[in-house]
Amino acid sequence: MVIKVKNLVKRYDELLALDHLSLEVHKGEIFGLLGPNGSGKTTIINCILSLLKYDKGEIEVFGKPMKPESYDLKRDIGIIMQNVAVFDELTVYENIDYFCGLYIRDKAERKRLVREAIEFVGLEDFTKFYPKKLSGGLLRRLNIACGIAHKPKLIILDEPTVAVDPQSRNKILEGIVKLNEQGATIVYTSHYMEEVEQICSRIVIMDKGKVVATGSKEELKGMIALGEKITVETFAAAQPEHLAELRKLPGIESVEWHDKLLSIKSGKGRNNLEQVLDFLKTRNISFGRIYSELPTLNDVFLEITGKQLRD
Amino acid sequence: MFGHIMLTRMKCLLRDRQLMFWTLFFPLILGTFFQMAFSNLDKTESFKPIAAAVIENDAYKNNSFFRQLMDTVSEGDSRIFNLTRTVTAEEANQLLEAGDIVGYYTADGNQVSLTVKSSGINQSIMKSFADQYLQTSSAVEEIIQTNPQALQNGILSKLSDELDLMKEVPIGSAPLSLSVNYFYTLIAMACFYGSFLGLKEVTDIQADLSNCAMRVNMSPVHKFKAFLAGMTGALIIHFAEILILLAYVTQILKVDFGSKTGYVLATAFLGCVLGLSFGSLISAAFKKNENTKTAILLTSIMIGSFLAGMMAMNMKYQVMKYMPILSYLNPVNLLTDALYSLYYYDTLDRYLLNMGLMGAFAAVFCLGTYLIIRRRKYASL
Amino acid sequence: MPVFKLCLKIIKKNLVSISLYIGIFLLIAALISLSGTAEQASGFSASKAKIAFMAEESTPLVEGFRQVLEEQATLVELPDDKEKLQDALFFRDVTYVVRIPSGFTKDFLENRGTRLEKTTVPGTTDNAYVDLRVQQYWKLANLHLAGNLGITQEALAEQLKQDMAANTTVNMAQFQNKKDFSQSFAANYFNYTAYSLTSVLILGISAIMMVFHNKDLRRRNFCSPIPAGSFTMQLFLANLVYTIAAWAVIAAACFALSPQEILTGNMPYLLVNSIVFTFCMSCLSFLIGNLVTSRNALSAIANVVGLGPSFISGVFVPQQFLGDTVLRIASFTPTYWFVQGNTRISTLTSFNWTSLSPVFYDMLIQIGFAAAFLSAALMLGKRKQLQA
Repeated sequence: MVIKVKNLVKRYDELLALDHLSLEVHKGEIFGLLGPNGSGKTTIINCILSLLKYDKGEIEVFGKPMKPESYDLKRDIGIIMQNVAVFDELTVYENIDYFCGLYIRDKAERKRLVREAIEFVGLEDFTKFYPKKLSGGLLRRLNIACGIAHKPKLIILDEPTVAVDPQSRNKILEGIVKLNEQGATIVYTSHYMEEVEQICSRIVIMDKGKVVATGSKEELKGMIALGEKITVETFAAAQPEHLAELRKLPGIESVEWHDKLLSIKSGKGRNNLEQVLDFLKTRNISFGRIYSELPTLNDVFLEITGKQLRD
Repeated sequence: MFGHIMLTRMKCLLRDRQLMFWTLFFPLILGTFFQMAFSNLDKTESFKPIAAAVIENDAYKNNSFFRQLMDTVSEGDSRIFNLTRTVTAEEANQLLEAGDIVGYYTADGNQVSLTVKSSGINQSIMKSFADQYLQTSSAVEEIIQTNPQALQNGILSKLSDELDLMKEVPIGSAPLSLSVNYFYTLIAMACFYGSFLGLKEVTDIQADLSNCAMRVNMSPVHKFKAFLAGMTGALIIHFAEILILLAYVTQILKVDFGSKTGYVLATAFLGCVLGLSFGSLISAAFKKNENTKTAILLTSIMIGSFLAGMMAMNMKYQVMKYMPILSYLNPVNLLTDALYSLYYYDTLDRYLLNMGLMGAFAAVFCLGTYLIIRRRKYASL
Repeated sequence: MPVFKLCLKIIKKNLVSISLYIGIFLLIAALISLSGTAEQASGFSASKAKIAFMAEESTPLVEGFRQVLEEQATLVELPDDKEKLQDALFFRDVTYVVRIPSGFTKDFLENRGTRLEKTTVPGTTDNAYVDLRVQQYWKLANLHLAGNLGITQEALAEQLKQDMAANTTVNMAQFQNKKDFSQSFAANYFNYTAYSLTSVLILGISAIMMVFHNKDLRRRNFCSPIPAGSFTMQLFLANLVYTIAAWAVIAAACFALSPQEILTGNMPYLLVNSIVFTFCMSCLSFLIGNLVTSRNALSAIANVVGLGPSFISGVFVPQQFLGDTVLRIASFTPTYWFVQGNTRISTLTSFNWTSLSPVFYDMLIQIGFAAAFLSAALMLGKRKQLQA
C-alpha cells in the first residue's frame, strides 16, 4: 500500500471540501483521480502531501503516517503541481538541478539525474533557456522534469496537462506510462476522462469531496446499466410511432431523434445493433451511416451523479 | 545542501533585474543626485563680504568717525563689506535696482540711514552695522557729557581697541556639514530597501505564497534550514550592495563618515539584517499579493526616511525634540542616527543605544518571521 | 473614437498612482504656502538669528545683555547638555551658543580677562550677524567703564540699554511701483511643479503608449479597419487631453493656494512657461512610452527621470546654490530652462521686449527639446511599425 487515506474531512470555512473520503493507492499502479473542477482533487493531493491542514482522518504514505517533517517519506515522493512551479530567474537546467539538489547531495549523481530528466522530457535543446522563453507545452515538461529528476517511487501529478497542446500532451502521457514501467507508482488527477481512461489502471471518480466510484475502467463501466450507444443517420423525419415502437424493443433504454440523428441507448447484450437494423429495414426507413459506441467514463459519471463530467 | 540552496537563491536574486535596480542602482543614482544638489549647500550659509554702497555726499565726508568705521570694515580679509562709493543717490539706486548691491548708506548730518530693496540677513547685517555707529556715537556723547575729561584720557582711542572677549569653544571634532545627514538617510533607506530581498525569500519558501515554495516544502529539506540558507544568501548580496554604496559615497562622492570605519561597517551590517528581517516579516505576516506588500514596504520606508530627514534634514531634529519616542521607534531613524552619532559625537553612548535598539528591532522582526514561517501546514493554499 | 476611449480607460486604471503623485505634491505645496505667507511683510524687518543663551550667573549686566540680544535674535530654550547642544547646532535649531561663565560679570568689571564662550557653526553669515551685536554690547560697556569710572553695574546696564536702543532708519526702495515677485509663492510653486508634472506625465502617457506597443496588440490594430492616420490622431488627442488635464489641475491649485497672486503681471508668463514645459514633458513621455516595454522598468524610469533633473536643475535646491558643473550638466535637460525661465519671470518688474527676450529664449529652448523628443519618438515608432 503506497497511500492510504481514511475518513478524511477538510473544510474551508463553510465549504466541505472533503467529506469522509477514503482511498488507497497500491504499489505499481497508475492511479487516476477523476472528477470535475472543484470536486476536491487538488485538496486531497495537498492533504496527502501534508501541505494542508485537515479536520479529521488519517493519511499514511508508504505505510507510515505522513507529517510535514516526514523527510524520509518525502525523499521518495515526486510532485508535479497543477500550476507551473519553477523559478523565472533560473534556466531550465538550473531549475531541475536546484530541485534535484534538494534530494540528492552527491554532485556527480545529481548531474547524471538532471541529464536523464532533461532527456526524459525532451528538453535537450532548451537547457539554457529561461522559463519565460518557453512555450506552454515545454514549460509543462520542465515542470514535470523538476518533479521527477530524483527518481521518486511515488509520483503525484496534479492536472499536468492543463492548457497543453495535443503533441505535448501525448508526450507527457507516454512519459508517465514509461515512469510507471520503470517502477514508480503514479497518482494522476485530471478532469479529462480520455487521459485517465488511456493510462490509468485504477480509477477513483470524485464528486463534491466524495468518492463516487472506484475500479478499473472496465469495472467502472460494468457498474452502469448502459451497454451501448447506437447512432443512426436517417434521411426522413422519424415518426413518433416508430420511436415508441423502438422503445419497446428488449434492452433499449432510451430513444431520441434530433436533426436526422437517431440516438439509441441500450443495456448490455449482444444483439442490440442487429435488432435496431432489423427494425429499420422492416419499417422501410432509409438510413445512412450507423455507428455504435461503448460507454465512456463520462457516461459513468453521468449515470452516477446525474450531471456531465465537464460542463 | 545549505550551500546548494544558498547559491541558487543568490542566483535568483541577482538575476531579478527589478530587485537589483531598487536595492543597488537606485540608491547609487539617488546618492549622485544628492551630491550634485547638495555639494554647495555648506557654502550657502558661509559669510561672504556684502556688496554695499555708501554715498559720498558732504555729510559723509564730514563725518570722519563713520567714514573711518566704513573704511575699517571694508578692508582686509575679514572685511564685512565690498564697498562701492558712489557720488549720487541716483547712482546707488541704479546699482540697487540692478541687484549689484544689497543696500546703501546715506549720511545726513550725524545720522545714517540705510536703503534696501528687500529684507534679508545681509540687509540686517548692514542695518546692524549702522546701528553700531549710532549706538557708539550716542555712548560717546553720553560719556563726554557726564565726564568731559574722558576725551583727554583718550576715550576715543578705546573705540578702535580690539576687544578680546570671546572664546570659541568647538563642539566635537566633525564639521557641522548640512549635507551629510542626507547621505546617512540614504544609506538607511538603502538598507531598508533590502526588505524587498527578504520579501522574495519568504515568498519563495511559504507554500501559500508561491508554487515554487510548495515544491520546496515537499522536498526532504527542513523548511527552516532552506529558509536560513536563502536568507544567508540574501544577506551576503545585500551587505555587498551596501558596501558598494558606502564605497561610492565615501570614496567617490567624498562624503565624510568620520573616522570610525569599523563601526560604520558594523552599522551597515546590522542595517542589512534589519532591512531583510523587516521585509520577511511583512511578507510572512500578510497573505496578500506581492504588489500590496511592496506598497506597504515602500510606504513605510518612505515615511521612515522622511521622519529621519531625507527630504528635509530639519525633520529629524523636530521629531527628536518634540517626539523623542518616535525617533526611537523609527528604525530608519535609528540607522541614520547611528551613523550621525559616529560622525559627530565624541562618545559612543548614543551610537550604542541606537545599535542596541536596532538589534532589538531586528530580533523582533526575526522572531516574528520565525513564528510564522515555522508553521508548515496551511489552512488553505 | 474607440482608440481615444480606450486611452481614457487606461488612464482611469492608473489613476490611483497618478493621483498619489499629485496629492502628495499639492499637500507639500499647501504646507509651503501656509508657512510662506507669514514672511510677506511689506516694510523692512530685521532677520532674527537663533541663539542658545546659557548664563551661569544672573547679574544686571548679563540680564541687560540677554535683553539686547533678544531684540535681534530668537533665544531658543535648550537643556544644558552637550549632545543636545550639538544636535541643535548640527540641525541649525540654533546657530550660536553663547555661554556666560559664572563670575564673568565680576571679572569683566575688574578687567580680569575672563572671556565669554561661544560655540557656533563656524564662518556662517548668522554667526557674523550675532557677533556684531555681542561685540557691540561689551565694547560699549568697556567704553563706559573707561569713561565713567565708578559707574555702578546697574547704571551701566541701564546706560547700555539706552545706547543699544539707537535704531537706523531703513528705507525700502520701490522700483517702478512694482512689488518684488521673486519671493512670492507662485514663483516657487511653479518650480516645484517640474517634479510632479514630469512624474505624472511619464506615468500616464507611457502607460497608454505601452499598451499600444504590445506586439500582438499592434498587429491587431494594424489589421483593424481604422486608418493608421486616424489611429495616430486619436492617440495624440488622448495624450493631449491628459496633458492639459494634468496641467490644469496643477495650475488651478496654484490659484487656489495663493489667490492674491493671480492678477500680478508676472503670472501670465509663468503660466505660459509652465505650458511650454508641460508640452515638452509630454513629448518626453511619448518618447519613453516608445522606448520602454516593461511596466516595472517604467516605474524605475519615472523615478529617475522625475527626480534627477529636478535635483540638478534647481527645483529642490535653488539654482544659485548649485555648482557650475552641475548647472552645466543640468542645461542639457529642459527642466533647467524651465526653472531658469521661472526665476527670470519672477524677478521681472517691467514687461518690455528687452526684459522679456531672455524669458522667450528659455521657452524656445524647451520647445527645441520638445521637438527633439517628438521626432525621436516618431522615428522609433516608424521603425517598430515596420517590424510589426
